[in-house]
Amino acid sequence: MSGRPVAIVGGVTTKFGVRSATWSELVQEVGAALFRAVPELRADEVDSLFVGAAEPERFAFQSHVAPLAAEQLGLKPYRILQRNELACASGQSAIRSAYAAIASGLSDVAVVVGVEKMNLPSMAEANSAMGCVMDRPWDGPAGATAPPFFAMVAQRHMLEFGTTAEQLAAVSEKNHRFANTNPTAQFHEKTFSRDKLLRLPIIAPPLRLGDCSSMTDGAAAVVLTSDEHARQFTDSPAWIRGSGQFSGFHNLAHAGSLTEWTGLTRAAREALGRAGIGIGDLDLAEVHDCFSISEIVEYEALGLCPPGEGGRFAADGRGDIGGDLVVNPRGGLLGCGHPLGATGVAQAVEVFQQFSSTVPAARQVPDPEWALVHNLSGSANVHSVMVYQRGRAA
Amino acid sequence: MSSEPRARRTSASVIASSPKPSETHPTEVPAAAPATKPVEKRPFLLDFFPLETPDQTRLHRFYERLREGRLSTTRCPRDGELHWPPRTACPTCRTEELEWVDLPEHGHVYAFSAVLVGAPLGMEAEVPFAVGLVDLDGVPLRLFGRIEGRPWTELRVGEPVRTEAYDIGDGRMFYRFRTTD
Repeated sequence: MSGRPVAIVGGVTTKFGVRSATWSELVQEVGAALFRAVPELRADEVDSLFVGAAEPERFAFQSHVAPLAAEQLGLKPYRILQRNELACASGQSAIRSAYAAIASGLSDVAVVVGVEKMNLPSMAEANSAMGCVMDRPWDGPAGATAPPFFAMVAQRHMLEFGTTAEQLAAVSEKNHRFANTNPTAQFHEKTFSRDKLLRLPIIAPPLRLGDCSSMTDGAAAVVLTSDEHARQFTDSPAWIRGSGQFSGFHNLAHAGSLTEWTGLTRAAREALGRAGIGIGDLDLAEVHDCFSISEIVEYEALGLCPPGEGGRFAADGRGDIGGDLVVNPRGGLLGCGHPLGATGVAQAVEVFQQFSSTVPAARQVPDPEWALVHNLSGSANVHSVMVYQRGRAA
Repeated sequence: MSSEPRARRTSASVIASSPKPSETHPTEVPAAAPATKPVEKRPFLLDFFPLETPDQTRLHRFYERLREGRLSTTRCPRDGELHWPPRTACPTCRTEELEWVDLPEHGHVYAFSAVLVGAPLGMEAEVPFAVGLVDLDGVPLRLFGRIEGRPWTELRVGEPVRTEAYDIGDGRMFYRFRTTD
């Protein structure tokens, strides 16, 4: 890797769900929690702020959100202040920018906040906001939002490989079960057996309600710094060792094979290559299960199993505790909900907490060293991957 | 039915050309298919349908040709690349001198689903509706769109469909697919 080593040295997540709180109130809440969780953090040494926020213009009728967030947090950044938008991957995009800023020496201590307020009085308006993620004047008028697109992925995967609804439910059951260990998860208190999942109503055939992540309000925040300062904050920094992204298309006409996500393969190869490890070295992965079928295709694109065998990988529990590696111990987007800008940051918080052994035992990965975080955005047209290594006590 | 993109009337410039109705074009319909229901005027920022007039878009010919019943796109005369959606500059050689070609009327469903809940604003009354990716016959294009005709419960992958231009109810045109039986 070029540049200075960069680590996440602390982080926190608000309660995810249908929150009785505004966009700004969610930012204040995560800021207060961050300074409680990272008592070594001093506001005047935070030189930069990166805000992952996908659609505040649509969901909160608010632009120019980076300085607004700074004010809510009680910060006055003096080096870099920016908002990152990459739809469902906005949070990871903000972390990547902070990483680049610190690696280059432009920033020494940066805060990343990811936030989204998605539940509105009119959910049709919220659904319209989701539709804007697509190529709006062309695919939008037909009614293109995420569920019908990922439903087509599921349909093709079932057709080409014989993947079953039961295998989709295996992904959802695992992630909801992990969410039962995570008090910040939207569905922390709800249990979903595979049978129950298979009886939920169809949202976009063949996907049922339990195959889909939800519209969620929430925020998450992390602190990043360089190797010069990391030990001031923690004995177990999560070092960023690799990063990769790939943007293959935007209009749905160019999606190509719906079941072969080559963009993820390329982004992961870039990130793992920079980290100098292979997929088999990972102890856990936080991947973008916006839909149950997404996690199945991601197993394959990451090379955890051969193409077409992702459904079996799920049903056999190979992404579960005791499997090949633990996938989505946080509870995933299915169990935690998916506040667009917050998701990628909350995944990084999980990695930090897994490395520092501060998650409940039921989802603690034993002695993890390597973790991968993946976000897709839009119609899986963009894939973003980061690889983390656990730092050891000096 | 032709399986090749028709390029009988092409224009050297997307911007300067004007629409010229055809009397014989195979995909022409006598009048635009009637809208499913009138679309109420919505503020632009809440409206998925594009602004189609020459003062708003350099691709206004696309919509003018839709009114003639012709679903068309641009092609690069230099490298022959057929675009979707239509463009004002070729993404490969970057020329801005593109030509209009009509697209095949027939295609087959590659994948489909349906919106049963969670429709965007203005589409709630249309639920349930089917959407899908359609391989157009004879050209390397797979278009996404609404599928009208038989309900989603009776669709299948490989289903033959045809393209259809329609008036959305406020003077604007759009395209969709319809089952052939």
